[in-house]
Amino acid sequence: MKEHIRNGVSAGLTFGVVTIFFSLIGFTSTATELMGGFIGNTSTARASSPGAIFNLVFLLTLVYLWNGSMAAKPTEEDTQQKAMQSGLVAGTVTGLLVAIYAFTVGSINAAGIDMRDYLTSMSSDAIELFLLGLSPVVGAVVQLVWITAVGAGAGWLAFKLRDKPLRKAIGRLWERIKERFSQVPLIQKINKSKYGNFIWYGVILLVLVLIPLPLSDYWNYTLGTIGIYVLLGLGLNIVVGMAGLLDLGYVAFFAIGAYTVALLTAPTPHNLLWNFWIALICGVILAALAGILLGVPVLRMRGDYLAIVTLGFGEIIRILSKSDALTGFSGGPRGVRDIAGPSILGMPFNSPRAFVWLIILGCLLVIFVTSRLQNSRVGRAWVAMREDETVAQAVGINTWQYKLMAFAIGAAFAGLGGVLFASRNMFTGPEDHNLMVSINVLSLVIVGGMGSIPGVITGSLVLKGLPELLRQLETYRMLAFGALLVAMMIIRPEGLWPSKRRRLEMHEEEEEPPTEHLANPSGGDAA
Amino acid sequence: MEKTASPKVRMPINTYKIVQVTIAVLFIGYLIWRIYALAVIEQVYGADSWLRFAVSGLILGSVYAVIAIGYTLVYGILFMINFAHGEIMMLGAYAGYFTLEALGSWIVDPAAGQAFLNANPVLSIVLAFAVGMTTSTIAGVFLEKIAYRPLRGAPRLVPLISAIGASIFLQNAAQLIFSPRRRDYLNPDILTRNTGWTVVVNSKDVVITYTGVFTFVLSIILLIVLYTIVQRTRMGRAMRAVAEDKKTAALMGIDVDGVISRTFAISGAMGGAAGVMWGIHNGIIYHYVGFIPGLKAFTAAVLGGIGNLPGAMLGGMVLGIVEATGPAILGIPFQLKDVIAFSILVLVLIFRPSGILGEVLTEEKV
Repeated sequence: MKEHIRNGVSAGLTFGVVTIFFSLIGFTSTATELMGGFIGNTSTARASSPGAIFNLVFLLTLVYLWNGSMAAKPTEEDTQQKAMQSGLVAGTVTGLLVAIYAFTVGSINAAGIDMRDYLTSMSSDAIELFLLGLSPVVGAVVQLVWITAVGAGAGWLAFKLRDKPLRKAIGRLWERIKERFSQVPLIQKINKSKYGNFIWYGVILLVLVLIPLPLSDYWNYTLGTIGIYVLLGLGLNIVVGMAGLLDLGYVAFFAIGAYTVALLTAPTPHNLLWNFWIALICGVILAALAGILLGVPVLRMRGDYLAIVTLGFGEIIRILSKSDALTGFSGGPRGVRDIAGPSILGMPFNSPRAFVWLIILGCLLVIFVTSRLQNSRVGRAWVAMREDETVAQAVGINTWQYKLMAFAIGAAFAGLGGVLFASRNMFTGPEDHNLMVSINVLSLVIVGGMGSIPGVITGSLVLKGLPELLRQLETYRMLAFGALLVAMMIIRPEGLWPSKRRRLEMHEEEEEPPTEHLANPSGGDAA
Repeated sequence: MEKTASPKVRMPINTYKIVQVTIAVLFIGYLIWRIYALAVIEQVYGADSWLRFAVSGLILGSVYAVIAIGYTLVYGILFMINFAHGEIMMLGAYAGYFTLEALGSWIVDPAAGQAFLNANPVLSIVLAFAVGMTTSTIAGVFLEKIAYRPLRGAPRLVPLISAIGASIFLQNAAQLIFSPRRRDYLNPDILTRNTGWTVVVNSKDVVITYTGVFTFVLSIILLIVLYTIVQRTRMGRAMRAVAEDKKTAALMGIDVDGVISRTFAISGAMGGAAGVMWGIHNGIIYHYVGFIPGLKAFTAAVLGGIGNLPGAMLGGMVLGIVEATGPAILGIPFQLKDVIAFSILVLVLIFRPSGILGEVLTEEKV
């Protein structure tokens, strides 16, 4: 098969499957609703109103445009005709798949069979919407024609827009903005002054202090959550990003912090009623100790084994906190309530806004510690270990000790996060500490960029902040995280905002002669 | 007499060794005390209880063994943990469920109101397994193609993270498509759950369920078939060659990518069979059903020596039995039986990372 046709078929198949998948998980309906919410052209009375159909067509057209342009990637002999042919093929393949699917579900729906018992989002409304309010046959044919046309158009468009990459243009724009700014006299003055860095830090600090003031409690709460995830992310960043130890049971340390403050300050089950600040210190220390205790036996293992063992450890903590055996000690499945908040000089300091300040303070502390560590002997030892443990050992690094240190420091940060989290919510229970927390934190570290402090902050803003803005998409969050982890590893393993060193590492093999040919002597496509 | 300065040799203190020995002594001591307490003081469990534990342990263990094979096959070849294997199993369980539901609602004998499922029970079960295994096979092959193949040669953490992502993705996709509802597996009448042969031990009835025996026998058959494939066929030889050394295998004319793809296919088929068996024996499936069994099967694979086929089978059986009898022996609530499996994982990795039938791959791979 010719290359451009093959490109078309593979893109078409991929996008066809993706479209059907989106429909099966109900994402098409949700996205339509979301868009309707933004531009306000849908009514709740009928799911397949003209406005909703318009939104769906608009969104799917974007997807199919992408399809066509993916198919029309440059081939050896790059002509407009070939690009259009690729787009056309991709459109036809996708169109056929989607049309068959639409016809099948449409006819089942038309026969009056309710599929929701098996496929939960296949409601009659959703199917009607997917068929654009038409009968199964007409709807399927319309889909086929529409998708094919869009595909061919996208192929043409992709050819026309080639060599005008958008990304470069944006990059240039960014450079220009930066240049402009650095020419402003005041900024130039600050940059040149001896205390330039400190002035900038001061400005950032001021902004951070001011941010919570105009926000409502809800947004402050959200901001607090993001901040706590920044804390957790920075902690995991030390373990995973700097020392290269994949810890999937990170939530265990978070839980230890949360339970420490809960048991020490809550009236039930122990009625100790300690001061919050003392409990905070205890929580951090206990989490660090737990990190060392777990680390001593498991840190001899490498890579994937460590991941599984830590995952197991996290599950053990969750099962224990959930079980009836420890109800008397830690509240069992019902958790612990009425956890004390902080107070300063006898004044309660526990509004969501106050907590945001507290959390920001924690983050700044952690950022300070991390950045100092990163550029110290310890940080360099971690990087050396991550790169090649044997060599690191050979140059005299006590790898075990440094690993333990990374584990303990990461655990301490998680403990701090746990203390703040439990105290802000005034409650903690087993469900706060499930595996999903670990996965969330891992995702944000990886998406942001392993080993990079600004990366972790970006990651938590994107992964924790965006879902708050798009509440309708909450159901798809974990799905998206899973897909993101895979996609990031394939497309951009160094993350959105990588540290310089990491970026070089991840792309170093591209400069070496490819060894892949050796492994595949037939040279043919395995598919 | 003149004193000569004797060279002081300071023995390096190996903290790790000390920790190892301490844990071992504590653990063995506790175990001995518990067994003594059980046998002499408490005497809560009679012979019938022990038989019940053993039977359920063997059944559970046989399913673990089938899942563990999937981990071990992939690990043997790619040295990566296919984290999403549990989800492959879950997909197989769902496919089997839908097949059985479809057959159960297809009335072939309107007079008696009998569905295909009970008119042809054997064929129905074969069909369910066929569909389940096919689905899982396809899922496994595509998983490898999409999530793992582009990452070959990347640092080791990279494919592992990708695998975790794939696992989460599949779990949530299943939840969104099929809803998080727990579903009752529809068995044909001959395999009704909780019925079986009754054995009287210690003047108490012990029921050995049909589904349990079915699961156990089928697992053993699957394990034998798989072992034959790997040891006796051309494909198996290619697989072993690739596991040994990819480059050399490629130079000998083996299509490495093809072999890896086929390995994922076989491992997926095993996962699918395990999923259907899980459904038939345990009766309830949901989107999360593959996760914990997957983790435990991984434990089993490590216990037996990862990358080692008989090891995975043995590890599965041992883990099943330990899990069934563990809570009674250790005197902890049955609610905490999952803790035992994970503790075993940790203990094995501390004391014998190469597993029971370990290969000589520890230092490098662990």
